[in-house]
Amino acid sequence: MRAVGIVGVGHTKFGRFTGSFLDMAASAAKEALDDAGVRPVTGHGIDQVFLASMGAGQVNKISGAASALVDTLNLRPAMAETVENGPASGASAVKLGYMAIASGLCDTVLVVGAEQMRVISGWEATDFVATMSHPEAEYPYGLTLPAFAGMFTRLYMDKYGVTEKDLAIVGVKNHENAMHNPVAHIKLVPNLYAITEDEDANVINPYVAEPLRVYHTCPVSDGAAALVLTALDSGREFNHKPVRIAGVGQATDTHVVAERREPTELFAVKESARRAYEMAGIGPEDIDVAELHDAFQILEIAESEEVGFFPKGTGHLAAREGKTRVDGEKPINTSGGLKAKGHPVGATGVSQVVEIVRQLRGEAGGRQVKGAKTGLTVNFGGFGNNVVSIVLTTRERG
Amino acid sequence: MYAYKCDACGELHHPKHFVCRKCGGTDFTETPLEGEATVLTWTKVYNLPEGYMKPYLCFVIARFDNGLTVSGQINSEQPVTGQRVKAVVGVVKEGVGRDFYGFIFEPAQSVA
Repeated sequence: MRAVGIVGVGHTKFGRFTGSFLDMAASAAKEALDDAGVRPVTGHGIDQVFLASMGAGQVNKISGAASALVDTLNLRPAMAETVENGPASGASAVKLGYMAIASGLCDTVLVVGAEQMRVISGWEATDFVATMSHPEAEYPYGLTLPAFAGMFTRLYMDKYGVTEKDLAIVGVKNHENAMHNPVAHIKLVPNLYAITEDEDANVINPYVAEPLRVYHTCPVSDGAAALVLTALDSGREFNHKPVRIAGVGQATDTHVVAERREPTELFAVKESARRAYEMAGIGPEDIDVAELHDAFQILEIAESEEVGFFPKGTGHLAAREGKTRVDGEKPINTSGGLKAKGHPVGATGVSQVVEIVRQLRGEAGGRQVKGAKTGLTVNFGGFGNNVVSIVLTTRERG
Repeated sequence: MYAYKCDACGELHHPKHFVCRKCGGTDFTETPLEGEATVLTWTKVYNLPEGYMKPYLCFVIARFDNGLTVSGQINSEQPVTGQRVKAVVGVVKEGVGRDFYGFIFEPAQSVA
């Protein structure tokens, strides 16, 4: 297979986007094309566009959205497809971009992830996200992603002694990181004492899905992120030295959460990371920085164990000891993560890759991990039923 | 509400699957799923999706005595992990022209 690298990144400010879905997706795409040094219209050399979105059709009433995007950018006659794989849509689109180039079908591909969720009410957004659960055994009950995360958190607390304060420690760390990320949704650092021990903690930090509270969960965000992928043997010149996609892994688990034999394990996280490491010829000890899908803070803890950073049941202890901070031994979610950077679902997987590219280029400013050469992203679909992991590196091919 | 029992190996499934997870069998017999179960975990959710006219709802993952594990609503203000519950089938969501049925657990008389 041909080696594939990333030569351009773009990212809108996450939060509330007041323009149209297409404006948002095209803004991120244009920034990535400019960053790479690709000029639209003539001689752009973009063979294929993948647009990841979970709700373009359902929420924004735009079907076949990639066709609209490719024309908005005047990248015709590039091939175009919309990719929908729940909250893992973004990393799935990166995977498909990788495959398109590695197979030899394309030389250069534009991957965009975009989601505009704040055009509907919170109740409607919760319902929209819940449609990824099982259509008979879960969705009709009113079960939502926070409900599953709440039940998963309780199992973790019972089995491993994770506390509400541990979840808050992870959340506060990610909010601190987001203060250094210009595109993050939320720019505030909650006070750990106020959200855990203060007499008004229940008011400041109320329950969403017991035992999960507001500061243990991500916000609802709009946003878009984009990447330019290219074959390392294409001979084309770009503005940036490529960051190589060294490994791509994906795995599925039972769609029905209750059917899992071991309810505190996230098999698809473990297996997708294992496959990505194997393809890259590395192990978890080689990862300098990681973006893990912390839609709920318990997921950052559990995923940090499943990807092999810490032994099972000790992820919360590592967070307590500061090991996952920017200056720690395994920095996680330097972007602010989904918790504070925001979680426009279909854009998240692309956004995670943008952050790792910025880290590996040394462009991460106040959140820069010194000397970072290899990074990992984990993009978590459903409640762990479809997970995509990606290893990126600036090291030479081994 | 039914469990789907593989005719070849007896493995129980819920919801319906077309291929047995254990032996690959493709023929199943519907078996009524009822009786008592044990709460493995629970949550009380305050931000319900569109269509539920309630301030909050409690949910559980519970294991039937035959080993099958399912999600459901629970008719209790304060569920407890390890609690014995009884499966009742009821309307879990009122739809337009169509109601949705599912498990609504009730606390059982005997507490484990």
